[in-house]
Amino acid sequence: MADLSIQVHEVDGVAVLRPEGFINAHTVRQFEAAMEAEILAGRYTILLDCGLLNYISSAGLGAIMGLIETVRENGGDILLCRLQKNVHEIFDTLGFTELYRVFATEEEALQSLNRTN
Amino acid sequence: MRNPAEPESFRLVIPSQTRYLNLVTGMAKRASVVAGMDDATSAKVSIAVDEAVTNVIVHAYGGEADHLVEIELRFLPQALEVHILHNGRPIRENEVVLPDPREYVKHPRKGGLGLLLMSRFMDEIRFLETGGGSECLMIKRVV
Repeated sequence: MADLSIQVHEVDGVAVLRPEGFINAHTVRQFEAAMEAEILAGRYTILLDCGLLNYISSAGLGAIMGLIETVRENGGDILLCRLQKNVHEIFDTLGFTELYRVFATEEEALQSLNRTN
Repeated sequence: MRNPAEPESFRLVIPSQTRYLNLVTGMAKRASVVAGMDDATSAKVSIAVDEAVTNVIVHAYGGEADHLVEIELRFLPQALEVHILHNGRPIRENEVVLPDPREYVKHPRKGGLGLLLMSRFMDEIRFLETGGGSECLMIKRVV
């Protein structure tokens, strides 16, 4: 199995990315490129479904951080859902749960966007 | 024969390439379980090891792929010691500045998060000069 695979689909203009495996210094460029491709396609709201993500290192967190201004300046956002316990702890330890909206399920995240819009 | 006075240990030497990170973190995670840690704690150790080895590859060796990184795990009665040895640019303890997460949230930026994760997930971290090389020593106690 590859260290990281990423499924991407669109729901009402929202890019839903499902990374599976490990996001670290080796795979971060692949992760970054997947998010950048959605931004280039004009999808500025990105939902990261982390249900199959085993772990994310600071390299991956830096990639998210590097794109947050771009998406928010264009009226979008980066949302997170289905964080496994150890992944949630990494986000929480670094204060990312204050910076990003975190949801239990993909449906809840998408519904929150409908309420906002 | 192993010297019985010394802790049980094993070591892995990898080329300074990030494609080996998953191998190293998998080993660190399994070693933590063998040392008596639960799954949540072993996951933290593996993240700390990922960050420390990445620091060596990216910063100490500047991304040059033809060097070596040595990872030694020592099983102490109440702790796991992780020794990461290299011959690249040393990191000196007095140069290490950990970002304050509260400030980080107010003023987000790239970088500086790896050392913070290492310090939060391990009980002790030291940066040492060894004979001809450098070492990052991380300790996780078994509770």
